[in-house]
Amino acid sequence: MWEVVNQLFLYIGMALIVVGALCDLIGALGLLRFPNFFVRIHAATVGVIGGAVYPLFGLTLIAFACDFLGYWRWLFASGSFITAIIIMFTAPAGSHALARGSHRGRVPVEPKVCDFLEEDKGRS
Amino acid sequence: MSRILSFLATFLLLFVVFIIASASISPMDIVLGLITSVIVAAFSSTLLIKEAPTKVFNVIRWAWAIAYFFYYFLIIEPKCHWDVVKRILHPKMPIKPGIVRVPYDVKSDYTITAVACSITNTPGTVVVDVDEEGKKYYVHWIDVKATDPKVCHEMISKTFEKYLRRVFD
Repeated sequence: MWEVVNQLFLYIGMALIVVGALCDLIGALGLLRFPNFFVRIHAATVGVIGGAVYPLFGLTLIAFACDFLGYWRWLFASGSFITAIIIMFTAPAGSHALARGSHRGRVPVEPKVCDFLEEDKGRS
Repeated sequence: MSRILSFLATFLLLFVVFIIASASISPMDIVLGLITSVIVAAFSSTLLIKEAPTKVFNVIRWAWAIAYFFYYFLIIEPKCHWDVVKRILHPKMPIKPGIVRVPYDVKSDYTITAVACSITNTPGTVVVDVDEEGKKYYVHWIDVKATDPKVCHEMISKTFEKYLRRVFD
């Protein structure tokens, strides 16, 4: 029974890590291709959540499955889990601060469909 | 009374995080965790919990938080990731960026912050500014489908508010 669960955890964790590597690659491509700063933040978010948080959850599952590590597997599992949670809580604060600061600092929003923040508050 | 309760809540959360992060229940880790959590909780409990510390001990709120965690990571995030990844890899790059108004209807500071963080954490939407008097976020959206605030609320933040209101409000 436990063998099957361990194998399942191992494969799900490996799949999550592969997905994370792909997300990092695609996020980097997006950073190069997108036209301005605000749109590039979206590509960076793909790199943070898909490229850091999901692989760390996958690492948690892999560490649970690695019996040969003995006691230390709990340390690996909890360390990567706490790191994933902390990245999840702090990354949006960083991108929000960057977006707000650059909008106040008159970084161009072109190309755009609409900019209601500029209409409401102006760019002081 | 409420100050003691908020101290206790902060202390318990810190201690649990410490024990999970150290991954051991040896006497030294427990004593070290107790000492550091008491010191940090004594300094920061009045800053972290300003109203109604009994919310921390409510089991139903924790159940909703865990349900929201799984729903967010298994359904909402993969959908938004797939959407943005398609836009990045598409040869013509079909983007229609713009900053729209998204009104919110929640009360406590924790809920406002959590909804904003949820919106920012999904690729495709980033909160640029918050207007607390007008009760609305200014969200940079990669594909503006509508400029009407009510439709934007429906499409961006309705599910987040539905869950997080039961957790924090």
